[in-house]
Amino acid sequence: MSVAAGGGGESAIDPKKTAALGIIGGFLGIYLTPINPTIGPLLAALGAVCAIMWGSDAIARVASYGLGTGVPSIGYMSLAVGVVGTLAGLAGGVMMGSAYVMLAPVLSVVLAVILGGVVALIGKKVIGMKIPVLVTGTMELTGAAALSILGFSAAIAGSYTMSAILQSVVVTGFIGLLFIMNTMAIQHPFNACLGPQENRVRTLKLAASTGFISMSIVGLLAMGSSSAWWVISIIGALAWFITFRMFLQASKDEAASVAWSGLWPKEEEH
Amino acid sequence: MDPLLMIGSIAVAGVLIGGGVHFLPVGGAPAAIATATGVGTGTAMLAAGSAMTGLITAAAMTGSPLWLILASGAVGSMLMIGVTMMVGNWVYVFGVGTVPASAKVETDPITKYNQEKYVSPGTEGHGIPTVCFISGIIGGLLGGMGGGLAYWAVYESLVTLPAYAPLLSGNTSVAAAMVAGSFALGLFFINSVIASYNIGGTIEGFHDPKFKRIPKGIVACLLASIVTGLIGVLLLKGGVF
Repeated sequence: MSVAAGGGGESAIDPKKTAALGIIGGFLGIYLTPINPTIGPLLAALGAVCAIMWGSDAIARVASYGLGTGVPSIGYMSLAVGVVGTLAGLAGGVMMGSAYVMLAPVLSVVLAVILGGVVALIGKKVIGMKIPVLVTGTMELTGAAALSILGFSAAIAGSYTMSAILQSVVVTGFIGLLFIMNTMAIQHPFNACLGPQENRVRTLKLAASTGFISMSIVGLLAMGSSSAWWVISIIGALAWFITFRMFLQASKDEAASVAWSGLWPKEEEH
Repeated sequence: MDPLLMIGSIAVAGVLIGGGVHFLPVGGAPAAIATATGVGTGTAMLAAGSAMTGLITAAAMTGSPLWLILASGAVGSMLMIGVTMMVGNWVYVFGVGTVPASAKVETDPITKYNQEKYVSPGTEGHGIPTVCFISGIIGGLLGGMGGGLAYWAVYESLVTLPAYAPLLSGNTSVAAAMVAGSFALGLFFINSVIASYNIGGTIEGFHDPKFKRIPKGIVACLLASIVTGLIGVLLLKGGVF
């Protein structure tokens, strides 16, 4: 749709840092889920927020070249790849035997990254898109999408095994909600902040706030399956309040001026 | 079901979805301010609406013969896209105050009405004229059939596994239906975004010059769907626990 001006300019934040945050934070959160019934799901949800921030940075790097289809489309595509990869990876972990359940989350992310890479290669080779970072950016984006789905699913189910996630996330239909909610959380920050004056630090502040508000909703979804739902929800809501204030403050600081429009002037004042 | 048959069905479904998207009147941001023909939103959003409705109607027919599932998915998608276009047209006609007209053709290929006179200067048309509406309905038909086919293939494959077996024989397995639905929705989004990359964001329908790009889009969707189908086989092979 709109042309995201900026033309892939230098980012204020090193892409390696956000990738490290997403990968390390995401996997750490997911793998620490079983340690404690209260802290575990909380860590999984925080891991998903890290993955969302990584995804927002990746989408900003890809979409700043102007996709011609709008920022949301690549967001939807990446979450679609993430959901397919997550389901197949979790089921594939079961195939290898119970000893390999540990590998299932890694397999999910790897499958999503591979599928994302294939889709981006098709976009580049068959369709002929001219975005230099399309393949690496889409691979990062789909990896982040799979991690965010896995993290929130583990937070709801209280475990990262296929049977637990199948029962409390897939059968209940929450997977559809996670699909759209994570799409919004990942694509909204750059979609809202794009333009010639885009400041990546500000975009990531918004990404943290969308991630945390999703986390507080995930807490509510976990009501039926976890005793720690209110911890996730309240911490998510508090963190959302703080990060959204940070974003609002950053927007005000960088604006030329902030003026409230007020009400329509009365007739006689004309 | 044989995994190869499932991959084949998913590939055909992906082609149907990708082809169907080329028929949709996607107007994008210019259409949102009534300066281009079509529905004023992106492909992903139009596909989301019609795909989800099509999948719900297809899933409602779970356990029926294949043709009934395909027909049900197609009708659901066509209804949703039809309602979207009609309500959009109300907004363009009664809200914005423009005449539905396309600048891409001189006369509407279906009604033969003159278009040029009604296109506001400086715009590429506005609203959803008859040809775009018919084209969108065809797109819904193809997309809905594709979604239904993918859902059917994954569901029928999963339901034979012990882990997904229905609790009562003859009933539907909710777990298999949900996994199949999520998978089909994922396939729908992947293919609709690839198709939308191919059309470069906006298209009016089958009368648009961009429609000639459809062979490239179909090849791209076929390749992507085969890879998605290969990954989907893991669902069957690992479904036993």
